[in-house]
Amino acid sequence: MESITDKIVLIMPFKADYVSVARLTVSGIASRMGFDIETIEDIKVSVAEVCNRFVGAGSKSADSFKIVFNISAGKLIIIFDSQDKTLKCIFNDSDDGISLSIINAFMDNVELCPDNSYILSMTKAFEGISGNGE
Amino acid sequence: MPSELIIREELSRDYLKVSITGDIDIYTAQEFKEKLYGFIDTYNIDLKIDCLGLNYIDSTGLGIFVEALKKTKLFGKDIQLENLKDNIRKLFIITGLNKLFIIK
Repeated sequence: MESITDKIVLIMPFKADYVSVARLTVSGIASRMGFDIETIEDIKVSVAEVCNRFVGAGSKSADSFKIVFNISAGKLIIIFDSQDKTLKCIFNDSDDGISLSIINAFMDNVELCPDNSYILSMTKAFEGISGNGE
Repeated sequence: MPSELIIREELSRDYLKVSITGDIDIYTAQEFKEKLYGFIDTYNIDLKIDCLGLNYIDSTGLGIFVEALKKTKLFGKDIQLENLKDNIRKLFIITGLNKLFIIK
């Protein structure tokens, strides 16, 4: 697996007010990595869709969720997590249809409810590079 | 925090032109919904929505558009979307909503 060269972490409150901050952050990261404008827009929407889900779900036991941007030469791996593990499988019901279809269309590899410590991961790779963990 | 969304309306004889500038996201969605539904309830007329200034939308905003379309159809009216930016048009295509709306 390609080694991660840099990591940027956002700690987000469960508030709609700041989802745009996550969009701006990933936009800056993706731009610096060299993704084209169309791909940057795709990644922004995908990140926002997940953030929207976290904000909508809220949490009684945690005051924030975390977005980790793992940057490598060939791909951007974005991991969402929270200390509130009841938020696992955050995309779970039929209301999420459009949201999930957007994320799956725009990102190369989306892991929902993974058997790991985090809640969700999504990857965007440069063309010609596999978006899977190979 | 100042709104990142500006909505203007201009009434013509046969339709209401609605111009959107900014981002429709989870933060601005409620404002957008209230204004759009308000126009539909008030004017009972076809809507032409100019999206030239619309920079961002996600499923939150798309859902509002769909519900707005349902409301206008109940009144026998329709919604036309104009001047979609490429990234916005792409979202409508991916979600299949380009088949529901008149898009110019």
